[in-house]
Amino acid sequence: MPAPRSLRRQNPITFVLAGILCIGFFIFFFSSGDSSTAASGSEKSGIGKTASNVLSPPSLPFRKSKANEPAPAPPIVHYYMNNLTTSRNPVENQETVLILTPLARFYQEYWDNLLKLSYPHDLISLGFIIPKTKEGNAAYTALQAQVTKTQSGTKSKRFKSVTILRQDTESPLQSQSEAERHKMENQKARRAAMAKARNSLLFTTMGPTTSWVLWMDADIIEYPPNLIQDLAGYDVPIVAPNCYQRYYNTEKKANEIRPYDYNNWVDSPTAKELAAKMGKDDILLEGYAEMPTYRSLMAHMYDASADPGTKIKLDGVGGAVLLVKAEVHRDGAMFPAFPFYHLIETEGFAKMANRLNWESFGLPNYLVYHYNE
Amino acid sequence: MLPLHASTPKGKMHRTAYSNGQAAYPTLGGSGGTFSIQPHKFQPRSGPTSLRNRKLGKRLLALFAFCATVLFFVFPNLRPNLGPSPLSYLTSSDDSQLETVRYYDLNNVQGTARGWEREERILLCAPLRDAAPHLPMFFSHLKNLTYPHNLIDLAFLVGDSKDNTIQLLTDKLNELQADPEPKQQFGEISIMEKDFGQKVNQDVESRHGFAAQAGRRKSMAQARNWLLSAALRPTHSWVYWRDVDVETAPFTILEDLMRHNKDVIVPNVWRPLPDWLGGEQPYDLNSWQESETALALADTLDEDAVIVEGYAEYATWRPHLAYLRDPYGDPDMEMEIDGVGGVSILAKAKVFRSGVHFPAFSFEKHAETEGFGKMAKRMKFSVVGLPHYTIWHLYEPSVDDIRHMEEMEKERKAKEAEENAKKERMDKIKDQFDSKSSDWEKEKAEVQNMVQKAKDEAKQAEKPKEVEPKKEEPTKEEIHEARGAEEKKKPQPPK
Repeated sequence: MPAPRSLRRQNPITFVLAGILCIGFFIFFFSSGDSSTAASGSEKSGIGKTASNVLSPPSLPFRKSKANEPAPAPPIVHYYMNNLTTSRNPVENQETVLILTPLARFYQEYWDNLLKLSYPHDLISLGFIIPKTKEGNAAYTALQAQVTKTQSGTKSKRFKSVTILRQDTESPLQSQSEAERHKMENQKARRAAMAKARNSLLFTTMGPTTSWVLWMDADIIEYPPNLIQDLAGYDVPIVAPNCYQRYYNTEKKANEIRPYDYNNWVDSPTAKELAAKMGKDDILLEGYAEMPTYRSLMAHMYDASADPGTKIKLDGVGGAVLLVKAEVHRDGAMFPAFPFYHLIETEGFAKMANRLNWESFGLPNYLVYHYNE
Repeated sequence: MLPLHASTPKGKMHRTAYSNGQAAYPTLGGSGGTFSIQPHKFQPRSGPTSLRNRKLGKRLLALFAFCATVLFFVFPNLRPNLGPSPLSYLTSSDDSQLETVRYYDLNNVQGTARGWEREERILLCAPLRDAAPHLPMFFSHLKNLTYPHNLIDLAFLVGDSKDNTIQLLTDKLNELQADPEPKQQFGEISIMEKDFGQKVNQDVESRHGFAAQAGRRKSMAQARNWLLSAALRPTHSWVYWRDVDVETAPFTILEDLMRHNKDVIVPNVWRPLPDWLGGEQPYDLNSWQESETALALADTLDEDAVIVEGYAEYATWRPHLAYLRDPYGDPDMEMEIDGVGGVSILAKAKVFRSGVHFPAFSFEKHAETEGFGKMAKRMKFSVVGLPHYTIWHLYEPSVDDIRHMEEMEKERKAKEAEENAKKERMDKIKDQFDSKSSDWEKEKAEVQNMVQKAKDEAKQAEKPKEVEPKKEEPTKEEIHEARGAEEKKKPQPPK
């Protein structure tokens, strides 16, 4: 008889599965409705989470149009830049951070640290510029693998957007090795090329919704996960932590740290005199015995026992790690690729920001670590 | 019949139930042996052990499905992103359609002489402030551009506007994008709203007064930098700055400027004037070549001073692009310049990418577009002006002009009034004499009649010589007293 058979099918498992399916559908419909309203709401406030067209700021992810339908006309997008804040509490105010890295070599530790940042990743956009050299190609491949992995991984670790630029370098140095890179005669050309790379990266990736720009060199491999919140907490236009390096002291047979970035300094009368005597196209460099400037270097001010929150005013900054309010860059403060008051690149940037009435600060007791080659 | 009937339900039931690999219908030749409905003949479908296994499997499956569903809906963060595969519709409702990674090669966007062939994108930037009256004109220019519209991205910065600029701009842009022809639609369109709290009025007089210049130029520069830094993308090969108050410009201006393949290039900017002011005038004096005098002057000024061109206070003796114009000159002629005017600048995007901007501080004693030219030169970019390729800026009368025009208007009115009075007088005179002239007409008619009569008589009498003196007499008197009648009288003599 058919009746007993149909009864046999209605066992509890069927009911449970049907129930789950129903609940599933309900949740599915409700959740999708929620997300769409949230998206339109955020567009109104001007801090758009996503763009609807591929023609959009790279600091925003965009929604792909379906392949089989004709592309709609690009929309007219309003950005309410008056509502953009850069405050002491960036997380509360949902402020977006753009992390920019000129990349020549890829270090896994760099990426791992980036992933450890405690700042909400959906407020972080990344930007990279990689030279078109053999070394650059290797770095590009490594970076791409990591980016793909992260961006298709769990949602909480995914960054809001990632932009990767490639560009030919104008003055390709034969080697990116430390000794070659730091030779004094190579410095001007190298730093001019570096400045141009930084500017290219900055001006093409900074979107109308970006609040903060964090400059982070590719060879910075250790810092506290709260870096962004800590630096933003000072609420100053430009802030640089102290960049150190871990090394093995063969004499003492111990792991120690030593100062690395000498570009964070307070100006000295000697340096000013030197500059006054210089030709228009000459530059002052820091950290070279041939050119004693007697500037006060933040690198030498580290005191483990002192207040870790100490902040000092700087006249020149380095680019290893640098948190900048986006409005400083928007006003026009960039990295001069030419001698600007006899300064170039990041040091020139501090000077230019200063000309635009933005001040730079340094944190002598807040350490970040550079890779040791 | 009954037994037959009784046997059929059995067969039917069999048909609906299991066929068990056997034919459901009893074949004609089928024997009772093969077609049996005895229940004990059925094979058990599976053994008890396999049934248990299956149940266990089902339970496990259900448990797994339940867990997966819970994970899927309760922790959406754990959903894998499978990329744009058809499967992704199942896994993550909407973020698979979200593209978060972008790759660009900046070597492809360096800018070439024939950008329209290589599909090079242009960013068109226009800073706006209380610009509503000029927008219709500006949009008609936009529509007329011959450069492929889909390759042009528009970016506007609206700041400190007190009129309906934003509303009008939005409406106009919607209209533009609603064009059914996709080739007529523009690319990315962004409107940035940012107030800088400028105190300076935007009217002609306060805009061009010498004292206000330095501060005004610095805040203009700031607005331009905000606009550019928010709108420049890695896809742009060119950046075109255009003021909204350009009245006349060639539709092919983008191609015309691009063909020169210079890093920064500007046309000559003039403006039409009313006839009493000479018909036309150089407008943009910010495009110039550096002079020794100006360099010497710059050295004497303090760090924050800004030299502004076109004012008697700073006599720089620089050769201005504007004054070198020859209406019949070769429009392709180029001239190296150091300072540029901002009415219409075409620059390669790489200039801006490398960091050149509009200094909102005193850069080599210059700010804004002039400082931009200086900085581009400092970074060894080519900066060129076209003296004989001219676009026309809108003529907005200055306060002096307006006063002058008022005076002229007054004069004109006075003249008109005078003329009216004169006319009235004349009319009066005419009126007064009109009656008389009609009298004269009557008399004339009478005289003519008389003349006719006399003629007839003379004809009859064949004495024509007597008639003429009679006719001349009244004519003379008419001339004396009413000019109007003279003409009517003149054709008389031949008669």
